[in-house]
Amino acid sequence: MSATDLNLITSFLFVNNSITIFYFGKEGENCKFSPLYPEAHMPVRIPFQEGLGQKFCQPSGTGIDLGFFELDDLSKPSQTEDVFPLVIYVEAGLPTPSSDEPPISQPTSSQSTQAVLVKNNNGFFQAKVIRQILWVEGIRYELRDIYGISNSDETGFNDEEPEKDCVICMSEPKDTAVLPCRHMCMCSECAKELRLQTNKCPICRQPIEELIEIKDVITYKVDLHISMQSLLLHSLSLMDSNSVFTSSNYDRAFTTQNDYGNLRELE
Amino acid sequence: MANSNLPRRIIKETQRLLSEPAPGISASPSEENMRYFNVMILGPSQSPYEGGVFKLELFLPEEYPMASPKLGRICLDILKDKWSPALQIRTVLLSIQALLSAPNPDDPLSENVAKHWKANEAEAVETAKEWTRLYASGV
Repeated sequence: MSATDLNLITSFLFVNNSITIFYFGKEGENCKFSPLYPEAHMPVRIPFQEGLGQKFCQPSGTGIDLGFFELDDLSKPSQTEDVFPLVIYVEAGLPTPSSDEPPISQPTSSQSTQAVLVKNNNGFFQAKVIRQILWVEGIRYELRDIYGISNSDETGFNDEEPEKDCVICMSEPKDTAVLPCRHMCMCSECAKELRLQTNKCPICRQPIEELIEIKDVITYKVDLHISMQSLLLHSLSLMDSNSVFTSSNYDRAFTTQNDYGNLRELE
Repeated sequence: MANSNLPRRIIKETQRLLSEPAPGISASPSEENMRYFNVMILGPSQSPYEGGVFKLELFLPEEYPMASPKLGRICLDILKDKWSPALQIRTVLLSIQALLSAPNPDDPLSENVAKHWKANEAEAVETAKEWTRLYASGV
């Protein structure tokens, strides 16, 4: 494979205003990123229209030649885990300040998807998402799956559906997840009761450090509109500039969101 | 008496045990005490216990599901320190059924039987078949 074949163009669906691609992006303060090798690739901030279901394609000429890098360096994060071979940094649109108003010192909302690049069987690089960070109103969140969230917006399910109910009382809907194992399995009442008796998660028996109540999962997700990108980015794929980008369609990504979109505050 | 204030979970579990019984397992509550179940487990096919009917008594203590159901003398970790309130009557009985398919001589109830099983499994299996015929034929 020649060096030119390795020139990468990143493309995916997205929903918000500006996107910056960092190769070997290093996370700094306030979830801002900087390139570790600015001489090899200088990131370009690419503005974008607001709206759902758009496809993003990095403009030709702003990619990187991966031939300069060792496969090992591309396929894993740095030892300290603050540098990732690929970082997709999405900034949520700030309201455009009108000229007669003082500029608002509102912090930017952003989401960064940090990925490694692994070669698949066909010799193409594919991005594997390692973690996703949300920066909302000055707080850094790391996106994690929560196990056991049911699609509570779906109608027509009868209330006997066992997965929707607390595993302990089997009567109340489950609304409490266990940390750090992230098993959503109890109602808040039973969770309280459980803590009096044991320190172990009912599902996996790992020690419970914390319980989080997730009140209205759906509203929570909609409020954090930006989090939707994370799912879309799951279908992200990287290929050489001659390939046609394909991804799972938007509806599917949206459905998948029911399993995602819950946040864990880290700091 | 004990049937008043029966937790909703126990009612639900009982209903499901009766309406959708697990294959080879039956559990029915006693009329006098809904926390007391008469259980029958069929010996799994291709095990020495095949053809046998194993009768058990199961009792749900006041603390259930925070505490495990009480059964006779069965050495099974989930009935002791590995109990979790996410387990149910059904999962406990399925575990017992599985234990009949794959006895665990490393954690035995009876040392002698375990010793025999480890020393001469073929002979121990024959004994198990014989005892199944003698004591668990269901008639």
